[in-house]
Amino acid sequence: MGILTTNFTVFLNRIKDANRRKKTMKIRKSIHKDYLKNVSKFVGVVLVVLSIFSCKHHEEEYHKVTDKIKELSKDYHGTSITSNKFLEEMNLMEISEGGHTFLIPERKSQIKSYACTECHTDDLNKIKGKDAKKGHWNITLKHANEETMNCLTCHNGDAMDDLKSLTGKKIDFNNSYNLCSQCHTKQFEDWKGGAHGKKIASWAPPRASMTCVNCHNPHSPSFESRWPAKYNTQKIQERK
Amino acid sequence: MSEKKNKWFSLKLSNKKKVPQDTGSCGCGKKSGGCGSHASTEVAKPVDGFDQVMGATMDRRNAFKQLTASLLVGAGAISTSCSVTSDDAAKEKAQIDWEEQFKGNYKLMSDDEKKATVDRLVRSHQIRTQDTLDMSSKTAEEGVLFGYAFNISKCQGYMDCVSACVTENNQDRNSQMEYIRIHEMKDGQGINFGEADDNYYHEVPAEGHFYVGTQCFHCDNPPCVEVCPVQATWKEPDGIVVVDYDWCVGCRYCMAACPYDGRRFNWSKPEVPKEEINKNQHYLGNRLRKKGVMEKCTFCIQRSRDGKNPACVEACPTGARVFGNLLDPNSTIRWVLENKKVFRLKEDLGTEPKFWYYMD
Amino acid sequence: MGSLKVFKSLVIDSLDIITHGTKKYHLWMAFLTAVMLAGMYCYSIQVEEGLSVTGMTNRVSWGLYISNFTFLVGVAAAAVMLVMPTYVLHDVDFKRAVLIGEGLAVAALLMCLAFVVADMGGPNVLWHMIPGIGVFNFPNSMLTWDVLVLNGYLFINITIPFYILFRHYQNKEALAKVYVPGAILSVFWAVGIHLVTAFLYQGLQARPYWNNALLGPRFLASAFAAGPALIILVLAMIRSHTDFKIEDKTIKKIALVVTVAAQINLIMLVSELFKEFYAPTHHSESAYYLFFGLHGKNALMPWIWTAIPLNILATVVLTFHKLRNNLTILYICCFLLFVAIWIEKGFGLIVPGFIPGPYGKIAEYLPTGIEIGVTLGIWAMGAFVFTILARTAVEIETGKLRYKKK
Repeated sequence: MGILTTNFTVFLNRIKDANRRKKTMKIRKSIHKDYLKNVSKFVGVVLVVLSIFSCKHHEEEYHKVTDKIKELSKDYHGTSITSNKFLEEMNLMEISEGGHTFLIPERKSQIKSYACTECHTDDLNKIKGKDAKKGHWNITLKHANEETMNCLTCHNGDAMDDLKSLTGKKIDFNNSYNLCSQCHTKQFEDWKGGAHGKKIASWAPPRASMTCVNCHNPHSPSFESRWPAKYNTQKIQERK
Repeated sequence: MSEKKNKWFSLKLSNKKKVPQDTGSCGCGKKSGGCGSHASTEVAKPVDGFDQVMGATMDRRNAFKQLTASLLVGAGAISTSCSVTSDDAAKEKAQIDWEEQFKGNYKLMSDDEKKATVDRLVRSHQIRTQDTLDMSSKTAEEGVLFGYAFNISKCQGYMDCVSACVTENNQDRNSQMEYIRIHEMKDGQGINFGEADDNYYHEVPAEGHFYVGTQCFHCDNPPCVEVCPVQATWKEPDGIVVVDYDWCVGCRYCMAACPYDGRRFNWSKPEVPKEEINKNQHYLGNRLRKKGVMEKCTFCIQRSRDGKNPACVEACPTGARVFGNLLDPNSTIRWVLENKKVFRLKEDLGTEPKFWYYMD
Repeated sequence: MGSLKVFKSLVIDSLDIITHGTKKYHLWMAFLTAVMLAGMYCYSIQVEEGLSVTGMTNRVSWGLYISNFTFLVGVAAAAVMLVMPTYVLHDVDFKRAVLIGEGLAVAALLMCLAFVVADMGGPNVLWHMIPGIGVFNFPNSMLTWDVLVLNGYLFINITIPFYILFRHYQNKEALAKVYVPGAILSVFWAVGIHLVTAFLYQGLQARPYWNNALLGPRFLASAFAAGPALIILVLAMIRSHTDFKIEDKTIKKIALVVTVAAQINLIMLVSELFKEFYAPTHHSESAYYLFFGLHGKNALMPWIWTAIPLNILATVVLTFHKLRNNLTILYICCFLLFVAIWIEKGFGLIVPGFIPGPYGKIAEYLPTGIEIGVTLGIWAMGAFVFTILARTAVEIETGKLRYKKK
């Protein structure tokens, strides 16, 4: 019995101890709760303020740059920047093709031996087949193949100062693009719009574009292969 | 030497009589503005049409400073007055360096402040190298948003653009910094940058290859701008993403944030041979940089704001590069965007580059 | 002002203490000073020549400095693992360790700031970043957030221990009402500094290796493993070299924290590896480079294959109570874990983010001697600062250093 009672009192004491501990814990916890409440309030306020502050307010917010372009160009009234001062010295001529009006370099003055009739005073037929010196020896035609093209596809032996279309119509040397466009229709479309060909000097209006023969040699229109203008030796080292 | 001038700098300069009469040629090549020393040179000429400058209200201290300095630089050309001139030039240089060190962010400057810092930089360059510059602080034009298109079918890989860019933009020759990269890609592999070679050296175009150029794309939603802790980089109203080299602290966070490898850092002091310096400069563009700052393509802001095409566009022999005003419905860039099948790189990132690719 | 006088006396007393000590102590401080001087010399070269003297390039534009910065932010944040139990949960076992932990946080934060400054291209224009004087791109740039939280955390971690020590110095009890709110704030703050630092990387869509939702939580887990691991090592040192009594119980409790954090970290690592390698996409290339090398370039492989086994070994050993309760084994494990996480979170995190580059180009990164010199110098500076702080704190806490009214 004695053992039992002692055991019992020990047990009771334990419960009391536990209760006491719980109480102190409770007091502590309540203190904590207050602190936590205050702190969480503080943190909450800080977060709300931050989130308001963090909202990015841009004046003009567009989802896509294409939307922006569409929107902003609605009331486009032009700018004060023009290409005039860069084009002043150049010998350009205005053309209008398929709704696009722009400048291209004048051509005739750039051809060394124009006009052709200055040399070719005789009828071409007279020198044909004879042992006369071969004219234009420096020109070899590398344009399409022999079945498709020869000199006379574009040049007119009877009217040398102009070019001729496939149907035999006259084409001015200055407007030689009309000749090219007979076959290269896609390139012609792109060129008119501005996707093909190099622009001259300025992005600003009025627009000036190179014409076909400014970049392509009509007798050998494709670009030559050559070595690149630069070689970066530092990059090699970096990537070793 | 007029009496007036003696009054201005009698304290500072004892041997001013050695200064030749013709110091009026400040060497910057311009008749007015742009070069910090004009006010003084105009003053220095006793009888000419610039007398009204004297009448105009001018900050006394500034005028004094400029006057002395410009005369001294003129004198500096003559070896006789070396010691004194170098001394005073050094003083002025120190003054400029001080003001430059503690100037504000260019983005937040008023137009006058912008002009002042540009003048200081020109002057400082003049003192250091006895050479003149033409530096602009031209702001964005209203109704302009720059855009760029690149024709993949046309590029032949000549790298003339790279070369022109380096020369135009005064890029560091030592580290061979280049804004533009031309990637040589194999036919049949598609646009695969991982397999591409961006540093080839053989005859081009190589058989069975095509070429794609990259540079800063001037994103409309640029991540590099967002991350800069000091707003040293920003998007101008005309869409050009620029860097204030003097405000940049060199943390390179923007470099980490750029998905297009558009940015370059000056790991050491950039060097450009004196005779190769492009003197047509813009504060936000190709002016000479210092070490420890970020730089990048600016669509050649010094050219494009003036109406010219960027150097790369001008140098390209194939016409693969199209540049223009996106807001102008009649511009060629707009025609390309509306009529060709265009795409941009990494569009899924939402950066909205203003650099489109297309094919014939 | 009375407290000013006390403060003056405290400064004088602590100066007295830190300049006196055993021969070992003097040797230690002399060693640190020498390393610091060497570091400063290296830094002077870097300032003179530019960052080109480091191994960084346009391709890998952040290196050893930012790696260490990232890791040390974690170490600093880890002080909270001692603060929270002590001040918030009132676990008295941590009480003696907490001041040491906070001292460590201060040292780590100073090192962080030093690493950031060392990484800057233009340290002379750093004032551009000071709010008010410069232009502070808040809240857009995560770096500005980081500047704010790091400095704020530094402030909290200086003021709280200072207050407590200052009271104890005067033989007064520190008032819980005063420091507990600060301590609770620092708990949130510590999580903040580390999350913000993670967001610094996580927010970059340009770097798929970082742009990963797990990065923040993983930062926390690894920090709460590596930081307390370092604290255990430091406590072990202090225990053996001073009279400052730290009970085994305390160390074992911290060891439990380390273990749990290391386990969580490991789980996250597995999750990350699974994502990268089970269904590899274009974005997994960085991970491939890190673990297996890419196109024959594999500079980081030895590092990561050191880190991963160490990490696993340490975590597994720590998991067993029996092994963990053996202090020698515990110390070894803590050291291994610390090294493993330093590699993983420093080199293993920052460098692969840049490799391969935006267009798939690989330029490898290896730090140069100068870079390593500066790094060691900054670590020595951290150790120096910590030694000073810890010595003063220990002397006050052991009751040797008390304010005497003259």
